[in-house]
Amino acid sequence: MTNDTLLKRWGLTGAMTVIVLLVNLPIILLMLNSLQTTEQILASRSIIPASFTLANYEGLTNTPFFTYLRNSLIVSLGATAFSVTAAVLAGYALSRFRNGLLDAYSTALFAVQMFPIILALIPLFLLFRPLGFINSPVSVIIVYAVVNLPFVTWMARSYFDTIPRELEEAALIDGCGHIEAFIRIVLPLSGPGLAAVSIFAFLFSYNEFFVANVFLRTTEAMTLPVGIQMFMQQFSTDWGSLMAAATLTMMPTLILFLFVQKFITHGAIAGGVKG
Amino acid sequence: MTVALDSNEAPAWRTRARQMLAPEFVTPAILLAPSVLLLLVVIAYPMVQGFFFSFTDGSLMKGGDVVGFENYTKLLTSPAFWHSLRFSAIFAACNIAGCYLLGLGLALLLQMDMPGRGVFRVLLLLPWIVPSLVSIVSWRWMVNDEKALFNQVITLFGGDPIYFLSNSNWAVTIVILIKIWRSFPFMMLSLLAALQSIDRSLYEAAAIDGATKWQSFWNVTLPQIKNISIVLCLLMTIWSVNDFDTPWLLAQGGPANATENLVVLAYRYTFARNDVGMGAATSFVTLFVLMALVFFLLRLQRRS
Repeated sequence: MTNDTLLKRWGLTGAMTVIVLLVNLPIILLMLNSLQTTEQILASRSIIPASFTLANYEGLTNTPFFTYLRNSLIVSLGATAFSVTAAVLAGYALSRFRNGLLDAYSTALFAVQMFPIILALIPLFLLFRPLGFINSPVSVIIVYAVVNLPFVTWMARSYFDTIPRELEEAALIDGCGHIEAFIRIVLPLSGPGLAAVSIFAFLFSYNEFFVANVFLRTTEAMTLPVGIQMFMQQFSTDWGSLMAAATLTMMPTLILFLFVQKFITHGAIAGGVKG
Repeated sequence: MTVALDSNEAPAWRTRARQMLAPEFVTPAILLAPSVLLLLVVIAYPMVQGFFFSFTDGSLMKGGDVVGFENYTKLLTSPAFWHSLRFSAIFAACNIAGCYLLGLGLALLLQMDMPGRGVFRVLLLLPWIVPSLVSIVSWRWMVNDEKALFNQVITLFGGDPIYFLSNSNWAVTIVILIKIWRSFPFMMLSLLAALQSIDRSLYEAAAIDGATKWQSFWNVTLPQIKNISIVLCLLMTIWSVNDFDTPWLLAQGGPANATENLVVLAYRYTFARNDVGMGAATSFVTLFVLMALVFFLLRLQRRS
């Protein structure tokens, strides 16, 4: 390799580093600021803080932050269980069969992607209220399960496409039914795929704001995004705790994302393009 | 009739019914059942119900009476509706243009051979993956007041501080910037995958014909990613028009409703003014606008 190309390659790396830092500047600032008191943040004139403190994080124990966190976990885990169960079954059907019913279902899934969710929220609000689902995780779990459905189903389908059919065919010849073959042969082989699909469903639900904002209106019931939005209004001057809360909220997302980022291309492209 | 009986073939409906009971049909039907049930409860039922609500004058507390097309006429004659329609259109158009340019540019860069490429790809996805609330908090801090980052930079160059969130035009600009920032990674990732699936031999052929880099980009790369680009723009259109989080979380649709899009308007009608009929009518108009756009983009794709 000549010096010239070597220089060019490292030059590109340098340029990309600058771009990546610029793109992620809002996130970096958020994390740096969360380690300063509000007074320091407001007085600061430089990007790199002079001193760090965990005071904001300690202060969160006096707020409902941990109630929100608990609610977020309940809602996200519930929605994940729901949507992954439905999506894995449907994804398997889409991967192995081909008929009019499945074509119709594929179209329906694409329509869900473009459906303005506000349209469903008004009637669902009126339907859920007498059932006691408002301010309860049940309402958002049900809605999230459907919002997740297209992406999660497409991911599951593209994963099942990679599992050879011959495995089930052997079981079918031995007298298994299709569904039995799926449960006994295909599912046990799908561990990594199912993990990726589940993490995705979890991330979607954990990050969601709009639906939760409509259905969860009491402090006791709010998830993190809705709860922190209340922070933003109530303590509009308290940037320190706001940024600490936002940073903590983001952490599980970032960590889980690192595990599944390599699956993203698969699901995103397969879903968006196959329709 | 007699002809049908005489022939050995079963009537068409019976053949169809038999097919329906065949395992090739029953098994997928069972597998789809849970998803279909969810779709019926969360999409189909509310859709029908919402359509009915859009012709009534009810509130969240009690059902209303049928008022015919009154909500629709009221909506289509209100300045707030036309304002939010215009903002939704600008928002979507800027978002698509911004995301496409940024996404394609970065995808082309990420295709080049360099140390650390995989890490850059992951790090560039972060704005897309953090919760909308977190991204708004971080941006709001940067434009918050005269001491915030943007204004520090402006005063460094001798400008006067700008109150981004209390000036309508600036608030619109900031909302659009945040939306582009939040959604370009998806575009980048999808275009990167499309670029990588282009057959290398096409470039070799172009090089033999003496094409410059620019010419082979224009004549090979762009036509090859045209179809997926239209699909991506379609998705971006849908997601921008349906976006509630960015305009709402930045300034609750303000200042002076400057950043109020159709969804925020529908939300306000329903949950702030307690007018379910108007909220439902606004949602349906939003759906029609979207369907018209999608129809247009799909025609465009089919023609190519």
